[in-house]
Amino acid sequence: MKRYNSDFILILVTVVIMFLISMLCIGGMFYFKWAELQNVVPAIKIAYQEQMNSLLAPFLLALLLTLGLCIPRRLFPHRRLYAFIILLGLTGLGAALAWGWREALLWILIISAVLQAVVLILAASGRRLKFLCEGYWNRLGSSSVHLGLVLFCMDFFLLDRWNVHLVIFWISAACIFIGTVITFYAEDMMDKLKGRKESQKFMDRC
Amino acid sequence: MPHLSSAINIYQTTGGLLIYLLLVSAAALAVCIPFQAKQPGKRPERAAYFLMTVISALLAAGSILVIWFHWEIYQNVVLSLPENLAREINRWLAAAADRSSYSLPLYDTTDPPRYILPFWLENEKYLFWFLAYAVMALFAWRRLNESIFRILLQVLLVIQTAVLCLVCNPFQHPLPGFLQEIGPWFSPLAPMSRLGVFMQLYPRLTFYYNAHYMWTHPPLLFLAYAGLTVFFAGCVAMLWTGKRACETMAYGHAKVSYIFLTLGMLLGYPWALQAWGPNWWWDPKVASSLMMWIVFSTYLHARLYLSRRWMWGFVGGLGILCFCAMLFTFTASFFFPGEHTGH
Repeated sequence: MKRYNSDFILILVTVVIMFLISMLCIGGMFYFKWAELQNVVPAIKIAYQEQMNSLLAPFLLALLLTLGLCIPRRLFPHRRLYAFIILLGLTGLGAALAWGWREALLWILIISAVLQAVVLILAASGRRLKFLCEGYWNRLGSSSVHLGLVLFCMDFFLLDRWNVHLVIFWISAACIFIGTVITFYAEDMMDKLKGRKESQKFMDRC
Repeated sequence: MPHLSSAINIYQTTGGLLIYLLLVSAAALAVCIPFQAKQPGKRPERAAYFLMTVISALLAAGSILVIWFHWEIYQNVVLSLPENLAREINRWLAAAADRSSYSLPLYDTTDPPRYILPFWLENEKYLFWFLAYAVMALFAWRRLNESIFRILLQVLLVIQTAVLCLVCNPFQHPLPGFLQEIGPWFSPLAPMSRLGVFMQLYPRLTFYYNAHYMWTHPPLLFLAYAGLTVFFAGCVAMLWTGKRACETMAYGHAKVSYIFLTLGMLLGYPWALQAWGPNWWWDPKVASSLMMWIVFSTYLHARLYLSRRWMWGFVGGLGILCFCAMLFTFTASFFFPGEHTGH
């Protein structure tokens, strides 16, 4: 077994990005207190929110790119994976130059959501995809959680479209919740049920 | 508040007795700890388990008392208006509803608004949180026979009970914020002033006290906090002993806490939009909760490689960091300004 495989490195990169986002959150808290933003006019508060969003954007983009590496890994062999990542990066760059970074981020999110939906369908149909975790239910749950997270991020772009925004929010919440429960508990429950059935068969044979 | 004063008296007296019994039980449990640490044996263990059960039962009794008190408030605090004022208020509310995506319901003269208070308001939240912890700790204590883990669970329960009794006793001054808020309603007022007070109370009643999200968002978070505390004990025990059983116990509680935390945070999102509009994003409490969730997600990702070199200590350390992040997130609402301040 290789000492450091690419999955392990991806996890480490994800951990580092998450740590940096945590630091940004704490920084935001102290800035909010220091700048006494609680009682300012809404325009200043909105400017603060925009500033924090723009600070978060590169980390979110990095997280999406690691997710962008994770998701197609399930679908494509290595050679095609690299081609896909380059293509995604180029279209993202093109979208950024043509429409701006916000739209580029939305574009990458839409692609990620579509890919994650495909992964979820394939995982549900029992296809053998490359996953870090073993077992049908783990794969299904993990796919659902990641689809939910991508949809949740996408939802922030739709805040001004009230009806669509709430529908996407509830879909993302359901995906995250159901996915988490399945990932954590379904495999064990199925094992227990199978074990019970096996022991029942054994008892019947005896 | 003439109707409530006798209920407040009963609440304070009975609650005071419960708090006294809780303090005595916590002190007795604290005494057991050095005996268990020095000479792990059946007798101190049995005594500790008995005292943990007593503390859980007392906390449950306190919760029943809270439920009764809230029932009294539901019965006695009614925002009823005379017919002419009700017509006036409905004219205003209808006009406001045309301009806003979230509006207040019209006043119903046959069923005037009442407070359906959740059981985790102001200092009562500690009672709910610590009860949840006591029950989880009791089950965890039974399931894992590991001295250091059991002692940690007890120490944490003693600390929580002491905090409840000495710092944030919910029975000493019952719901001070709420009672102060509704106080003007019970004073003699001119009709237009009554209308003004009603318009101060009614939005808070609708979007805060009686909001159905109030029954999901806060309790799920407190259940997550309780689970995280047991998880913390498991992580310390796992680092101390290096035993797989401690890690499994910690992970079991991490899973359940993560589900509660994620669901609780998600359910706070549409509520915040409804109650505060879009101006709450990057509020200090939101930022710290996001930070806690990210640290927790990091733990779950890192745990996938638990068998690797150095990862045992790293994962255990991340578990302890999750608990610290939880403490930071909870206390942040007292020190950082924002929409959640003091809640």
